[in-house]
Amino acid sequence: MASFSTNEFKSGLKILIDGDPCTIVENEFVKPGKGQAFSRVKIKNLKTGRVVEKTFKSGDSVEAADVIDLDMEFLYADGEFYHFMMTDGSFEQHAADSKAVGDTVKWLKEQEVYIITLFNGAPLAVTPPNHIELEVTQTDPGLKGDTAQGGSKPATLSTGAVVNVPLFIEEGEILRVDTRTGDYVSRATKK
Amino acid sequence: MKGRPTATRTMLEARASLLTGLRAFFEARHSLEVDVPAIAQAPASDPWLDSFTVNDPAGVSIGYLLTSPETYLKRLLSMHQRPMHSIGKAYRANEEGSDHAIEFTMLEWYRPCDVRPFETMVGEIQDLVESMTEFGRPEVISYCDLFESTFAVNPHRTDVQALIPFAKNLLGAKAAAQLDLDSLLNLLFATEIEPHLSNHVVVDFPIIQAALARIEIHEDDAVAKRAELYIAGNEIANGYYELTDPAEQSRRFAHDQARREQLNRPAIPKDEALLEALTAGLPESYGVALGVDRLLKIVTQSKTLAECMTFTGHL
Repeated sequence: MASFSTNEFKSGLKILIDGDPCTIVENEFVKPGKGQAFSRVKIKNLKTGRVVEKTFKSGDSVEAADVIDLDMEFLYADGEFYHFMMTDGSFEQHAADSKAVGDTVKWLKEQEVYIITLFNGAPLAVTPPNHIELEVTQTDPGLKGDTAQGGSKPATLSTGAVVNVPLFIEEGEILRVDTRTGDYVSRATKK
Repeated sequence: MKGRPTATRTMLEARASLLTGLRAFFEARHSLEVDVPAIAQAPASDPWLDSFTVNDPAGVSIGYLLTSPETYLKRLLSMHQRPMHSIGKAYRANEEGSDHAIEFTMLEWYRPCDVRPFETMVGEIQDLVESMTEFGRPEVISYCDLFESTFAVNPHRTDVQALIPFAKNLLGAKAAAQLDLDSLLNLLFATEIEPHLSNHVVVDFPIIQAALARIEIHEDDAVAKRAELYIAGNEIANGYYELTDPAEQSRRFAHDQARREQLNRPAIPKDEALLEALTAGLPESYGVALGVDRLLKIVTQSKTLAECMTFTGHL
């Protein structure tokens, strides 16, 4: 099994901690003038998303995690799995369970390209593009002069996500949404 | 592109002005600037310092790049018995990070002093910070006070067993159990105490970290007469009330050598020239080494050492 020595540590490196795949967020070399050196690292557990701090003695090595990020197109969901296909022309398919899809489920749209993180060849996480265009399937008609909600109202999108939109937005419109914040960005072209 | 100067014009000017300021500070205090070699026959014996070896074109080792100019300055001090300082490059292999570089600029100064040498040294470090930075006069605090207030443990009387539980939180049980007392103290100090030191001179270290400093009894504990300057969580300077006894120096070499062997680190030749200088006689004196790049980082409020280096990533 491949491993990394602390002097190879850098942000983005994928390592195994207690069997879990993790990525190094930040690496700090700590060495008192006269003493032994240590690496203080911030590590994100790719399974749980939790960030923890860990310290290693310089020169120690840590097992590498077989983790890779790949672009894949979302095909369909079958009730149990979400099926994705590689965009490199190989047509290779991968099935992610709902744990791997996580919160991204509310941004899943057919034919859209997602980043699939594979751990030991199996989907571990699904990351949506930063911006996605989705259709409004339900929203109340905006009333003129209604500013009670600060000029916005909830709208349900085709994927089930609910976002706050300006009052002038109508059902059937395509919106551009920021998936990182869940915020409405702009109107896209009308259907 | 790799190899282009990385420092901004402003940084080059800040560095030049800091170097000029440091030279003026020591000139005003009648210290002689000396220009010493960067290569020596024997490197520092500190178990955790890695020196680069220097080879001739045939691949035969001719010596080591210095981790500090200590050996040359002490030899000069023994012969000339006067205050002197050097500003030059020092080299430490395997040290790279946001506060470390393998090649860096070190100011090191020595001053013969018969009356209260340790207190005089601490005062001079405070004077330097006061005149070179806008941080004001650093506060003096003992290693013991800091350690006790953080861990409720007296660092001069503690042992491995008492410290392992604290290290476990950081390293995990397995790695923590592999550390000796020196490394445990270093780890805990560097991670839990150092980041909170805003402008402090820490004095009286555990004797296991005496290196080449005198040992004295203070409030029933034997302490190493070392003083370290920390600003904004960075170790900036390290000073010793210097050891002058050649027999004790020889014992410390042997001790370092034994530890190197234990740690599977390369053996190094004994610095006979330094021992000779001590035998000829070193005045009662103190010596301080200061990382100029780190001080520049503090003065310019930079985030990393790399921003302060004239060239970085060039190798």
